[in-house]
Amino acid sequence: MLELKNISKNFGNFALKNINLNISKGEYFILLGRSGAGKSLLLELIAGLRSPDTGSIYLNGRDITDEKIQKRKAGMVFQDYAIFPHLTVYDNIAYSLKIRRLPRNETDAIVRQMSENVNIAHLLDRRTDDLSGGESQRVAVARALVTSPDIILLDEPMASIDTTLRDDVRRLLRKINEMGITMLHVTHDYSEAVRLAHRVGVIHNGKILQTGSPESVFSKPVNKFVARFAGIQNFYSVEIYRIDGKLVAESGNRKYILPEADYPENGLLIIESNSIGLSVIEQNDRDNCIRGIITELNRAENGYELFVDSGDMFHVVVDKKNLEKLSLKVGQSVFLSFSSNNLRII
Amino acid sequence: MDRRSTFHWIILVLSSLVLLFILAPLIGMVLDTSPAEFFQTVKDEEVQDSVWLTLSVAFMATLIFSFMAIPFAWLMARYNFPGKRIVQGLIDLPIVLPHSAAGIALLGFISREGLLGKAADAVGLNLVGNPVGIALAMAFVSLSFLINAARDGFAAVPERLEKAAMNLGASPMRMFFTVSLPLTWRNIASGFIMMFARGMSEFGAIVIIAYHPMTAPVLIYERFNQFGLSYARPASVFFILVALVIFIFIRIISTKAN
Repeated sequence: MLELKNISKNFGNFALKNINLNISKGEYFILLGRSGAGKSLLLELIAGLRSPDTGSIYLNGRDITDEKIQKRKAGMVFQDYAIFPHLTVYDNIAYSLKIRRLPRNETDAIVRQMSENVNIAHLLDRRTDDLSGGESQRVAVARALVTSPDIILLDEPMASIDTTLRDDVRRLLRKINEMGITMLHVTHDYSEAVRLAHRVGVIHNGKILQTGSPESVFSKPVNKFVARFAGIQNFYSVEIYRIDGKLVAESGNRKYILPEADYPENGLLIIESNSIGLSVIEQNDRDNCIRGIITELNRAENGYELFVDSGDMFHVVVDKKNLEKLSLKVGQSVFLSFSSNNLRII
Repeated sequence: MDRRSTFHWIILVLSSLVLLFILAPLIGMVLDTSPAEFFQTVKDEEVQDSVWLTLSVAFMATLIFSFMAIPFAWLMARYNFPGKRIVQGLIDLPIVLPHSAAGIALLGFISREGLLGKAADAVGLNLVGNPVGIALAMAFVSLSFLINAARDGFAAVPERLEKAAMNLGASPMRMFFTVSLPLTWRNIASGFIMMFARGMSEFGAIVIIAYHPMTAPVLIYERFNQFGLSYARPASVFFILVALVIFIFIRIISTKAN
């Protein structure tokens, strides 16, 4: 459906470099990246609001690289919605239909149907300057959908939505995608990717680092940046070698047993926080068991997070039950244990 | 006494002095004009014709030039180009030029020896001493107000709204008329009023271009020159009252629409 071939664009001190991307029809693709990574710029190139320096853009088999904005059939929902403040909700949604000079009754029918689809039928006569963030979002989506685009481009759709209302917006976006509409959604929020995407891509400094299903990208990140997006906080530069028939990753004074596989001589060892077991007695049945001191203990979304200094600093999560059971506190000596199968080298 | 209160008193006194500076001559002029003199002046056909000429030419000049000034203002708001600062300086130039000098410059341009004058002469029109010449002079000295007000208005319209319009299929022209212009109309209205008011009150350039037919400022000057202060005063009061009424009326209309 959407194909980007070697897209590059210089933009002040920033550059998109050789972006290649393929999105299938009906797919929900999320491009993850920090602010300034080039996500919005890429959307603007696809929508035709800017032109690439090199490369080609294909949409539905058509080369749209030099196509006028108005002809591209790529509907864009801007980060702050960009709904027209001088028009009512009805007129905002009808804007593109009036350009096409559709008969009034046809326009009316389409606007009303679309407003029902996105649950804003009760707002049609309202002016837009006193709508909530969620309502404005729906108006912007409806306005883009009535153009019957080949793809919807969403620029940080949750950015201005209250946390409590994000589920509603996610349901709406899922519903639209289930209607068969291809979506390219850019965000800095990993949880959106996990909840919505069929496939994700991670962009950093103008380059796409990795693409794939959320499971594959976040369970096998290609580098530290991608791993951080998945919430992984435990990274250690290691040298890998074999000793007594076992593969070992050494970081400073610490050695970790690795599962059998082909590894380079040097790499980055990563381990997810929730795969680390914590106890007050040594666990001799685990591949890896190390001693450390709790240096920090904080509430987290699903329990508590601890930082344990064992020579390497570990980030560990525990639930409230275990925290109380083990009477964990700062300064306490604890044992961290994890299976070699939970270790990955990137 | 509380220091903050003293400061406010100082501000109040200074502000009052400024207001008094503006109001005192005007109030003095009104008080020095007897009702009989005033009504006699109001009935004077020469005065009526002069006021009507002034208002109508100023309005038409503003209206006609706004068709060029407003798109120009949009360009200045939206685009960066080499020499943009120089262009902005040129827009502001008429404000700082001595008005008689502006009149001399315009005279060279619209007289039969000048570029525009030759073109007008070819169709049998003499711009010097003609309401068209007066309109050109009024527009010359006042165009900056409309361009700058409209430019500020367009600059305040978020560019992403224009991008959204084009993404929805609007051509650049449609985008301009359905998004940019409607969102700027208050600034344009304000600029229109200022351009009209400034043009209406112009004297120095007009007296060079077209002493006759006499606009109200020229008539007032003529009466002062020939017959003195007491003869010029009633006409001044009448013109100021007319200008004030129109000014307030337009402001009310634009505020109500707001």
